[in-house]
Formats: sequence, structure tokens, C-alpha cells
Amino acid sequence: MATQSAPPPSRTPVNYSTRVDKVGWRPQAGSIVRTIVAVIIAFIMLLPVIWMGMTAFKSLPDAVSVPPKVFFTPTLEGFVNLFTQRRQLSDAEMEAYRARDDLNWAQDIVLERQQTIIGRSQFAQQLTNSVIIAGSSTILSVVFGVLAAYAFSRFNIPGKDDLLFFILSQRMLPAVVVTVPIFLMYKQIGLYDTHLGMILLYTSFNLSFSVWLLKGFIDEIPKEYEEAALVDGYTRLQAFRKIVLPQAVTGIAATTVFSAIFSWNEYAFALMLTQERARTAPPSIPLILGTGGIEWSTIAAGSMAFLIPVVIVTFALRKHLLRGVTFGAIRKG
Amino acid sequence: MATIHLNQVEKKFGDQFAVKPLDMTIHDGEFIVLLGPSGCGKTTTLRMISGLEAVTSGQILFGERDVTWLHPSERDIAFVFQFFALYSHLTARENIAFPLQAQGESRDMVKKRVNEVAKMLNIEHVLNSRPGSLSGGDQQRVALARALVRRPAAFLMDEPLGALDAEFRDTMRAEIKRLHIDQHATTVYVTHDQIEAMAMGDRIVVMSNAVVQQAATPTDVYHNPANIFVARFIGSPGMNLIPARYQGGVLYFDGGSVYTVPDDWKSTLAADLGSDGRVIVGFRPEAAQVSSEGQLVAKTYANDLHGGYTMLHLELDKDQIVHIRTNRETSYNIGDLVHFDVNPTMVRFFHPETEMALTKRDNRS
Amino acid sequence: MSQISTVNSVETARAQRMPSKQRQVSDIRIVQLFILPTIILLILMNIFPLIYSLYLSFTNYSVIADVPPQWVGLQNYQTILSDTRFWQNFATTGSYALVSVVFQTLIGFGLALLLREKFRGKGLITTLILVPMMLSPIVVAVFWKLMFNPSVGIFNYLLGYTNINTSPEWLGDANLALWAIVIVDVWMWSPFVMLLCLAGLSAIPEYLYEAASIDRASAWFQFRRITLPQVMPLLLIAVLFRTIEAFKQFDLAMGLTSGGPGDVTETVSIRLYKLAFQGQYDTGMSSALAYVILVVIIAVSNLYIRALNKARGS
Repeated sequence: MATQSAPPPSRTPVNYSTRVDKVGWRPQAGSIVRTIVAVIIAFIMLLPVIWMGMTAFKSLPDAVSVPPKVFFTPTLEGFVNLFTQRRQLSDAEMEAYRARDDLNWAQDIVLERQQTIIGRSQFAQQLTNSVIIAGSSTILSVVFGVLAAYAFSRFNIPGKDDLLFFILSQRMLPAVVVTVPIFLMYKQIGLYDTHLGMILLYTSFNLSFSVWLLKGFIDEIPKEYEEAALVDGYTRLQAFRKIVLPQAVTGIAATTVFSAIFSWNEYAFALMLTQERARTAPPSIPLILGTGGIEWSTIAAGSMAFLIPVVIVTFALRKHLLRGVTFGAIRKG
Repeated sequence: MATIHLNQVEKKFGDQFAVKPLDMTIHDGEFIVLLGPSGCGKTTTLRMISGLEAVTSGQILFGERDVTWLHPSERDIAFVFQFFALYSHLTARENIAFPLQAQGESRDMVKKRVNEVAKMLNIEHVLNSRPGSLSGGDQQRVALARALVRRPAAFLMDEPLGALDAEFRDTMRAEIKRLHIDQHATTVYVTHDQIEAMAMGDRIVVMSNAVVQQAATPTDVYHNPANIFVARFIGSPGMNLIPARYQGGVLYFDGGSVYTVPDDWKSTLAADLGSDGRVIVGFRPEAAQVSSEGQLVAKTYANDLHGGYTMLHLELDKDQIVHIRTNRETSYNIGDLVHFDVNPTMVRFFHPETEMALTKRDNRS
Repeated sequence: MSQISTVNSVETARAQRMPSKQRQVSDIRIVQLFILPTIILLILMNIFPLIYSLYLSFTNYSVIADVPPQWVGLQNYQTILSDTRFWQNFATTGSYALVSVVFQTLIGFGLALLLREKFRGKGLITTLILVPMMLSPIVVAVFWKLMFNPSVGIFNYLLGYTNINTSPEWLGDANLALWAIVIVDVWMWSPFVMLLCLAGLSAIPEYLYEAASIDRASAWFQFRRITLPQVMPLLLIAVLFRTIEAFKQFDLAMGLTSGGPGDVTETVSIRLYKLAFQGQYDTGMSSALAYVILVVIIAVSNLYIRALNKARGS
């Protein structure tokens, strides 16, 4: 017949303080005002991106119309121009082309501008290069980073603090400073304009941030877990694999996203150390400007094609990003 | 100094009651303790008195003044927080001086009062340090000094000893009580520790599940708990509560023991119990006595040797352990049968369904 | 050798399994193995280039010339320190960094104060605000270039300039170009400052404010004595990070103006790029400039870290 003390009543969370001076219509109004301000801010933040997105689907005249057009007929003209090489048709050729009925949808679109497709542009290849180089360097930098971070976290390595600071300080240098000697080096050993060369460079640049970030995350995992495993007979490697790694997953995820985004977005190194074979998208996008006048819808399309993966990743992994961006300051899920 | 009245004070968060409608009077100069497990509503009640929580309905009066909707700073109260709430970038002296400065007191007056209060609490030597460099006990003393310096109408304390080490807790407990006696200040003190409550309170208000279970002096709460919750919550260990069946002047326990009910209880039990005669019998560990002629018998389950006394744990029946305090320094073997008696003036009875204590019919008017 | 500390109690437990000396040795092995890739990459990609660069800074080497490097001593450094255009570059970069970081901090911190309480849609807004800083700066530059266009861009349109003749030329006007870059940088990174400040603000316990309200503290006092000190460490981290990044500014400026018009927006990084990879391909001089930049950045970082530690410690 034991009377148990009942579990504490769960509190429905209140969005505002219920202090005597804070009760009334004011907190409700305050909440609404805040939402409005936040929406305005978000709109300002996103307007350029949204505008660019719209421009990517506009025809060229629409893209540069005065006053700027908010309502327009969407077209894939920009994207087609982005991925193809074209030449101008003479008036005579136009007649012939108009009569044909075996043209695919892309050719139909360029026909409107009196052009025909003569081949693929290099953009698809450049995007692929971006994927390869960013992907490989991310994987490498996270793997090496986790190992180094674990070693720095758990062991007293001679000169640890200086070493860590030196590693981190790499991030403080402008890219150009490091590039000049590497340019010479790469030229001499044949790594200039190669995937391998870029992957090595990106990996080492990412390492500085990822080691520092991951060490912070691993520091938070109590040593007692591994020590218990060691007592149970595991080797240190096994303890690392079975205990530390699973606990560090969110930290690893945050670091991975960061390294990936940095490598993906990187411009300076790619500009100076690649030419054709290994050229990634960022150095190429501004150059889209140069093909026979300013094709804004094409540039917008290129920008969009490049940005969309990042926007998707940002949304999908926002919690990890928030942790990483604030250097681990934001803890909650 | 003032009497504090709570009239039908209630607090809801959304649809949930944090404090069900409550009436309470705190007398001028009284040290009243709000006691209960976490989530029972004691802290919310304290915060409503202070103004840190607005009431959902009801009225709070300080003397004649209706303070229900007054800002905390207008109620003339001081609040001591569990985690000290000191301004880390000011020295201890500046922290203590702050409330007076905010009131616009003269510099000389402020200095005088701060020194006075620091002397009272023995913290003169830390006045020029920052809170971050002080021990927990000293930080709480500074917080107390800050509360004292204004001479408010009432002191409100929210588990002030909760963040301190055990050794500090004992010292501070005595200091707070001594301060209260010196200052004659009305104090409302919240804690979940019943030892603290028993040691410090003039009156204890036991709360559970947003409802006041009993409001009485420590002696009353200890010897005459109003219901099973209070009986169990107060005392370490709590009161022994054993189910039994009452019939014809005798209590029949599971496990075979039989106990003759004292005469002054017989009529109460006969009238207030259901037809099946089920009742909960309550007695404190010190109310029982080991005796070879004892009516009750149980098997030894464990011994706790405390040096000056032994806490015997006896198994009356399966899953029913009884705790008895003996003066013996030797212990019994596990499994030994022990006979014991319960002091007839110290036995209590509770209704099995309502869980309320039964009161002797002769005492009712 | 026993610099590597392990748990000694564990050793006794495993004494039967493996001699403790052996386990210490294998631990050392692991550590070496784990840091090896990082150290190797560090030496190859960072240390070696820095040393090589130092050597080159004392030569007149040019990558396109077929002549091996020739020693010229401190000549490159002298040229740099006496050239007004170099000083102008530093001044431009410095003023850009100062203005941009000040605006980012004010806007970011202000927004954090405004938005610290919960409200409907806070999570979604936080995510949306995260997007600009995740984008590639060069691509951001490209589409702001369109937006800044005086005739067809929406920036001027939204500001109310409908007449092409009076419409400010953000990227073409020497007085406005640097401001244009500042605007884009602030747009991208104010949310970063805001997020860090929000993290700091949310960690402040409510009872500090409650105690202050009971003591009748003014709102300004509460801000100065409770809010600011608690937020300061994160705020300083944000400022430090953004300042270092501003000094490195390359992508945005390259994309928007390429250092123009003239050299009005030529940051040190852009100048360095032009020196090394355009025109004369003056490797020697650019290496010297790289070292000067290095020294400046180390000096500035040190100042900041010291200020940060001081603010944190007190």
C-alpha cells in the first residue's frame, strides 16, 4: 500500500517570462513584432539569392529589363547556354533550321536567339572536377583530422600547444601568400593543373580547421569511457574505433560539412593553380561573362547550378552547421 | 515587517496547475518553510510572493497592501537565489552596496550599512574580492548580505543551501537561523530537504503535486502527520506504514502478528473504517521497542550500526520492511525473529483510500 | 620518452595480458601514426613553401623568365616599403576591414539582442540566415555585380533611383566601390556574428536578471553588467575571426571590381595576385610582399588574441 510521490507535473513551456511586469498584451505583441522583424531580415538575406534564382530562369531580355521584372515567363535558356557551345546562324541558315522538325528542345531554345548548338561547354566538366576535388579532399581531411585530433586530445605530445597553434595559424594566411611557392613547386613536379595537386592542397588547408574543431569535440568525450574499455581488454585502437568514434559522430558531421563547403566554394587556389584539366567551377563562373556580351541569365544559371547543392546541404544539415559555425558554442540539438 | 496573506492564489502554465488554489498566512517575524519534492509547487509559490511569477488568479497581501500586481522591486522584499546571482564583475562590496545605491542612499549611509552587514556575516575579509574567486559558502554569505542590507519587509529564499558542499550547509543553516532570530524578519524559505525544514522552521508547509498537504509546526508535522505523504516524507527514515485489518479491537497484520488497539482509538477505528476493516498503521522507528513480550514479530532483514544506536530493519511480511530504532549496540543475526511493541501514544492510523490520518474521536468537538 | 601519459591503474589490470612496457610502446606507435599524415602534409604544403618563399623574396626570380633566381638581398623589401601604391593597398585593406567588421558587429549583435527571445518560426529563420555565408564568395560577387548594375540592377531600383542618369555607379565610382564590397561582406557575415552572440546570450541564466530586477537595476545596468560581460568572449571570437578574414579579402573584391576602378579597391591579396600571376610575373617581389603581409597579419592577430584573453580572463 505504498504511496508513491507522483512524478512532477510537466510544465508546458511558455514563450515569454511570466514575471509580474511582463504579463499582459505586451509579450504577445513583442512576439509578433519579433517575428515580423525576423521575416524582414530573412527576406533581405535571401533576396539576392532568390533574385539570382529567378534570373537563371529568365530569358536574356527579361533578365536585363528596366524596371526589373518580377513576373516573367520562365525558360531554360540560361541553363542550355551554360552547358553548350553555340554559334551564330546566318539568316539563310535560319530558314533551313526553321523548317526542320528533328530538333530537340534545347536546340529549339537556342534557335530563338538565332543560334545552333555545336557542342558541349566545359561547365559540366568543371562541375565534375569540383565534385571530385571537393569530395576527395573532404574525406581525406576529416579522416586525417580525426586521427590527429584524437592524438592531440588524449596524449601529451611534446610541443603540443605550439604545434596546434601553428596548425591553426595556417588558416590566417591569405591564400595568395601560400600559392606562389606552391605554384613553382607544382610546376616543377608536374602537379600543376592536376586533380591530385588540388586535392593535396585542399586537404592540407582544411586540416588546419578540422583538427582544431575535432579536437574540441573529442575533448568533450570523457576519457573514462575509453579507460573502461581498456580495463575490459580492448586495445587502444579498438577503444578508439568502438567508443570514441561513435560518440564523436556529430562533431565529425559538422567538420565534414564545413570542409566540404569550403573546398566546394574555393576560388583563389583554383584560379592560380589550375588551367583546364582540373579547373573547378568557381574560377570559371565569372568568366562566363566574357562570351559575346554579358549573358546574365547564363551566369545566373551557372551560379544556381553551383549554389543549389550548398543550399540543400545547409538545410539538411543545419544542426551540424550551427554547431560548427559557432565553434561548438551552440550545443542543443 | 509584515504579515503576508495568500488568498486563493493559483498558478497555471497553460492547462497544467503548478499551484492549486492556496490560502496561507505568514505571520510577522515568522520563519516559514515551504517543503516538498521537486515539482510540488513550493518554488512557484515563493516566486509568486516575490513577483517573479505572476499569479494566474488570487490575491497577495503584505499587511494591508495588495501587492499582487506590483513589480518585485516595489514589494520591499529580498530574494536569495540557489545559485547566488551575484554580479561577477563587481566586488563583493559593490554587490552588497548595489540595492542601496539603486535606492539613492547617501554614500556614507551605504558604506556604513555594508560594513555592518559584512560584520554580521563575517565576510569583512572578502569584501574587496570578486565573487568568482570566493568559495560557495562565502558567495552565499555575500548574497545574504545583499539581501540584509536593505532591511526589507520579508526575506524570500529559494533553496539557498542547495549549491553548497555538505560541510558548508550545516554551518550556513545555523547562520541563517541565527540571523533570523537577530533580525526578527519574516522569512519564507523553500527547500526539498526535510532535515533542513525541521531544523529551521517555526512552521512547515508541506506541499506535493501543487497542493498543500499540511501546514504546522515541526513537532506537529512530525508527530501528527495529516496524511500518508507527510508521514513518509518527514523523518529519516520516514514513518513506518503497514497495512492491517481491524476487527473487534484488534489489528491483524499480514504475516500473523496481532496487536491490541489502545482503548482511546477503538471507537475511532470502529466508526471511520470501511466494512472490510482495512487500515494503514503508522509509527516512527523510535516509537517501537524490542521486547520479548512484544505483540508484533518479524524477521531480521538488516542491521545498520550507527554507533550510539542501531537501526533494525525487520521483515514483517513479504515486501513489508519495518524500521526500528534500538539503543543496543549489538545486532541481530539475519533471519532471527524479533518481538517488538509499539508505544500506544505514538501509534497513528491512516485511511487506506483517502490516505488521510484518522483523528481520535474524543478530541473532536 | 614517457611523455605520453596513460592511465596507470589500467596497466596493473592488464599486467597479465601484456607487459606494461609493451603497451606504452604501442601507444606511442599509435600517436605517431595518427599525427603522421597531418605533419607530413603540414611540412609539404605549409612549411616548405614558406621557407622556399622566404628564399625567393631575396631574389629577382620570375617564373616566366628562363633565368635561374639571382640574389638581390633586401632590394624587394625596400621597393615594397617605399612604393606608395603598396602603402595604399595596406590602407585600403585596413580601412575595409575596420568598416566592414564594425558594421557586421553592430548589426549582428543588435539582431541577436532583438531576436533572443523565442518567437514563432525562430528555427526556420535561423536556418535561412545561415545560407548567405555558406555560398562561394566569388559567386556571390558575380550576382551582386548584376544587382549593383546602375541600369538594370535591382539594388538601385529598390533604393528608389529610377533615372539611369542619377543612379549611383556602385562598382564604377571610385568613392563607392569599396562601400559596395563592404555592403556585400556585411550582408554575408552579419548572421555569423548574430549566431555567435545568440549562443552567448542564450547561456545567460535568467536568475541574474531576476536578481537585478529585484534590486531595481536599470535596463542599462543590466545590459552593461550582465548581458555584455557574458556575451563578450563569443563576440570577441567573432570579431577576431571576421577581422582576420577581412584582411585576407580576395574573392569578393576580385569578383566585384578586380581591384578597380583603378586601384581603389585593390586589397593586398589582389595586389599580390597581380604581381605574381599577371604582367611581369615577378615571383621574387611577390614573395617579399607575401612575407610583409604575413608579418602584419601575425602582428594584428597577436594583438587581438591578447585583447581576447584579457576580456575573457577578467
